[in-house]
Amino acid sequence: MNAPFFKFGAFNEEISLVIAVLIGVGFGFFLERAGFGNGRKLAAQFYGYDLTVFKVMFSAIVTAMLGLFYLSWIGYVDLSLVYVSPTYLVPQILGGLLLGVGFAIGGYCPGTSCVSAATGRYDGFVYLIGIVFGIFVFGEMFSIMESLYSATPMGSITLPQLFGVSYGMIVMLVVFMAVGGFIFAAWAEKKFAHLRPEEQ
Amino acid sequence: MNSHHDHHAGPPPAPYWNPYTAGIGLGLVLLLAFVVMGRGLGASGAFSSLVATGVSCVAPTHAEQNAFYKEYLGDGKMNPLKDWLVFEVIGVILGGFISGLLAGRIRGKVEKGPRISIKGRLFYAFIGGTIMGFAAKLARGCTSGQALTGGALLSVGSWAFMLCVFAGAYATAYFVRRQWI
Amino acid sequence: MSNFCNRLTYHQWLALIAVVLGLFAFVAGDPYSGSRITIDTKELASIVEGKVDHVTALELADWIIQEKTDYRLIDLRTEDEYSEYHIPTAECVALPDLMELPLQRTENIVLYSEGGIHSAQAWMLLAARGFVHSKMLLGGFEAWQDSVLFPTLPENPAPSELAAIEKLKSVSAHFGGAPQTGGQAISEVKRTITAPKNTTPTATGKPSGGKKKKEGC
Repeated sequence: MNAPFFKFGAFNEEISLVIAVLIGVGFGFFLERAGFGNGRKLAAQFYGYDLTVFKVMFSAIVTAMLGLFYLSWIGYVDLSLVYVSPTYLVPQILGGLLLGVGFAIGGYCPGTSCVSAATGRYDGFVYLIGIVFGIFVFGEMFSIMESLYSATPMGSITLPQLFGVSYGMIVMLVVFMAVGGFIFAAWAEKKFAHLRPEEQ
Repeated sequence: MNSHHDHHAGPPPAPYWNPYTAGIGLGLVLLLAFVVMGRGLGASGAFSSLVATGVSCVAPTHAEQNAFYKEYLGDGKMNPLKDWLVFEVIGVILGGFISGLLAGRIRGKVEKGPRISIKGRLFYAFIGGTIMGFAAKLARGCTSGQALTGGALLSVGSWAFMLCVFAGAYATAYFVRRQWI
Repeated sequence: MSNFCNRLTYHQWLALIAVVLGLFAFVAGDPYSGSRITIDTKELASIVEGKVDHVTALELADWIIQEKTDYRLIDLRTEDEYSEYHIPTAECVALPDLMELPLQRTENIVLYSEGGIHSAQAWMLLAARGFVHSKMLLGGFEAWQDSVLFPTLPENPAPSELAAIEKLKSVSAHFGGAPQTGGQAISEVKRTITAPKNTTPTATGKPSGGKKKKEGC
C-alpha cells in the first residue's frame, strides 16, 4: 500500500503544484472533448433533448468510484487517506438548489466556464467574471451568512456510513442507478428530440 | 451526432466525443488525482483564492478581518495563489484550449439560442455566474469539487448537493428557455 | 457466445462491464478491510538499526522549549495517568484508538508510554502501516522523569561538564522539575511531581501547524 502518493510523502508541495497543472490539463481536455465548452449543449440537459451532462458526469463518477474501490480493495490505495470534504447538509442543499438556478441561467459551472473561455466563448468569459463577483458578494456577506454556512455539520460522512451498509453495496447501487439513468437518457432524448434546435 | 454550422471560415469543427468515452476519460483523471494526491478535482476554490487575494491587495485590513477571506489567505506566510486548486485551474484552461485547438473548436463567439440577443445572453451569463459563485461558496464546492469528486467518494453532502443542483436547474429551465431553444 | 459478444454495441459493452464490476463490488464488500498490512521487515529493521526510530527525553524537551510544531506527541498511558501529569503538548490516545486517529503518513509522530514496551508495540503497528516517520520516546515516561524532570547531577562535576549541567538545570526548571544531586538517595517525596499541571492543550488539541484551508473545491 503506497497510494495516495502525496500522503505518503512521495513528493513535496512544489512538485504537487506541477502535478496540479497536469491533472488540470487532463480535466480540461476531457471537459472540452465532451462538449462542455458549449453552454448551449450544457443547458440542453435541462430541456431533455441532449443529456450529455448526465451521461458524462455519471460515467465519470462510476469510473472513478469503481477504480478507487478496487485499488483500495487490492490494498494499493489507502482509502482512509483520500480527502472527503465534510458534509454540512443544510447549506449544501440550499447551495445546490441555488447553484442549479445559476447553471440553468448562465449555462456553465466554474470548471466548464474555464474551458468555454479558453476556447474563445465570450459568454463563458463573462460567466467567469460573474463567478468572481458572486464569490466577492458571498465574502462581503460572510458575517450574515456564517451561521448558515456552518449549520448542520456532519463531518466527513459517506453514504455507506450513513446507511450502515457495506461500501460495496452502495457502489453497486450507484452503478445500477447510473446504468438505469443511461437507458432512461436514451429514451428521453428521443422523446424530447423535437426541442433540439435546427442549428446547434 | 451534432452537425455544426458555423458562420466563421475554416474547416468545420470536429464532432464532440461520445459522452461515455469522455466521461470515462474524466473519471480516470479524477481517479489519478485520488491516487496521486489523495484528493479530488475542483474549480471554484481557485476563484475564492483569487478573490481573497484581490480584496487583500485593495483593502488588506478589511480582508484580514473577514473569516472567509482569511481562510484562503492563510497565515500570510505563503502567497495564497500558490495553491493546488489555482494551479489545477490553470491546467483546466490549458487542457480546454489544447482540446479545442486540436478539434478546430476555438471560435470567438457567443453560445446562445436563436431567440435572444448577444447582449441579452451576456447579461444572463453574468447573472448566472454571480449566482453560481455565491452558491458554490455556500455549498463549499461546485459541480467539480462536490458533485464529481464527492459523488465518486460517496460523500453524503455531495450527493444531496448533486440532486439539488439538478432540481434547481430543472425548476429554472422553463423560465429561461428563450435563451437556449 | 461469440455471437452474443458481437451483437453488443459499444454502449452495451460499457454497461455490462460496469454492472459486473458493481456486482462484484457488492460481494467484495469493504475496501478498507482490503488494505491488509504487509510488513517490510527489512525496511523496519533498517529503521531500528539506524536509530531513527526514537528520540531521547532531552531531545524532546528541546523541541518543546523551542515550541516546535512539526511533531505530534502521543501519550499511550491511561487517562488517569495522563490527567495527573503528562509531557507538555501531548495528547492522550489509547492504543486501540491510535489506528483510528487521522494521522498523516508524513507526520512526525512521537509515542510514549510508562516504560517503553507499549510505545514500541504501537510504533511497530504504525510503522507497519507506513507511518515510517513515527518515533518512540526512548525509555518512555520514566526516562522523561529521570533525565528531564529529576536529572541526577554528578556531585563533583568536572569543569568541562559545567555547561551541560547548567543546561540540564534550566531544562528541568522549565518543566518544573528539580535536579537531584548525585549519590543521595532520591526520596519518593521529591519525586512527586510539582510540575505545573496541564499547561498544555487538551487531549484533542494538537499544536496546530495549521493547514491553510480545507482541500475541497
